[in-house]
Parts: sequence; C-alpha cells; structure tokens
Amino acid sequence: MTLQKDPERNEIKFLRKYIDLTGKRVLEIGCGEGRLTWQYAKWTGSTVAIDPDRDSLRVARVDRPYDLQEKVHLVRADSQSMPLPKEKFDIAILAWSL
Amino acid sequence: MVDALSEIRRVLVPRGILIDMRPLADRWPVEVVSSRGSRESGRVEDLPEQVSGDVASNKTMQEVESRGWFVRESEDFFPFFYSWDTPSEMEKFVDDDWSDFIRLGEEDRKSTRSAWAVGDADSRVRIRVKILITRWKKL
Repeated sequence: MTLQKDPERNEIKFLRKYIDLTGKRVLEIGCGEGRLTWQYAKWTGSTVAIDPDRDSLRVARVDRPYDLQEKVHLVRADSQSMPLPKEKFDIAILAWSL
Repeated sequence: MVDALSEIRRVLVPRGILIDMRPLADRWPVEVVSSRGSRESGRVEDLPEQVSGDVASNKTMQEVESRGWFVRESEDFFPFFYSWDTPSEMEKFVDDDWSDFIRLGEEDRKSTRSAWAVGDADSRVRIRVKILITRWKKL
C-alpha cells in the first residue's frame, strides 16, 4: 500500500494561517496516532493531545519525535469528560473529531 | 457533541480560540495526477451516514453559537488529498476503510482505471477530500 495523506501539507498550512501557535498552550481533541500533532507541536509552548482510543495512543507514544517528548503530553480521555483543569489552554483544536 | 463543546469551553481561557477542522461530504472528486497536472476521473458517492454526520456536527456548532459559548470568526475550505500509486490500491482502501460513509461506483472505477492506464508514467490516483476549517472564539 502506497497511501500518502496530504502530501501537499495543506492541513498544516491552513492551520497556521488560521492561528498563531507560537508559545501557546494547545489542547488537541481526537489526536489519533498524532499525524497532525507532530506537524504543529514544535511551535507551541505546550501541547496536550487527547484521544479515547488506546491503540491509537500507543502508536502515538511510539512515534512521538524525541524533541517533542517534553512538550507533547498524550492523554487517554473522552472529550465529554476531560481530566483537565479549568481555563488551562489558549487554543483547542478539534481535528476531524466533531 | 454539545457536552464535548461544553468541556472545551471549560478548559479554554477567556477569549480562547477553538479550531474545528473536519471533512465534509461533497461527492469528492477522484483524480489522476502526474507531474504534468491532474484530471478528474470520477466522483465518490456520499452515503447517508456521512451526510447525517455533517448535519449533526453543523447543528452542534449552531447550538453552541446560539447559547453564546463561542462566536464564529472565520471559515474556509481546503483540499486534503489521499493519494495512491494505483487505482486498485485506492479501490481497496475505499472498500475497506471508508465503506461506511462513501462508495465508489463501477463507472467511476472504470473511468479512473482507464485514465490511469493511458496516463503518464508517474501517474497516481487521488481523492480530493473537502475540509472545512472554522475559527471560533470563546465568549
């Protein structure tokens, strides 16, 4: 299988056009295996990426780039009940998950 | 879904930003593409589950807007390509992974195979998925 997803990287181009992520505290809801997370997290101050699927998060943990180990926190959680404090994030990203 | 938006609102700072990015059913074009350009060879068929999912998501965002939780600041669309080396690889993916929400008819399969077969040596096949991106501000 030779599937390529978004080879022109339109998703990250439009995300950056719509929001300045520099230094921001970002929450991503429905991160899956981290396909989008690894593309933007380097610009953020910190990123919490949640997903309810254990297998997807397992892949994400394995794939997490070394330089993002401290910056990106992967959490298994459901979007309807997030174990996160009030008013903690500057930006929330719902990526293919609404 | 409204519950999830309530949770997102709770964890966002005042005037925090929510970015919603998601695919929309729109009979996505199937294209044969090479270094010389691309041409449409067919269209997928949207199945009811995909269409009803879009309707539900749109209603959710209308609901949270009417409740005064978020205000829409801007909105746009962009293409997200799924690309394969051959039509048979694309067909397998559509049949195995997307069968709940889209279908590719026999005529569209035939026309794509034909266009790819007579195309350039570097021809690939892709589906142009329509993505909606919306920026919302917490009120």
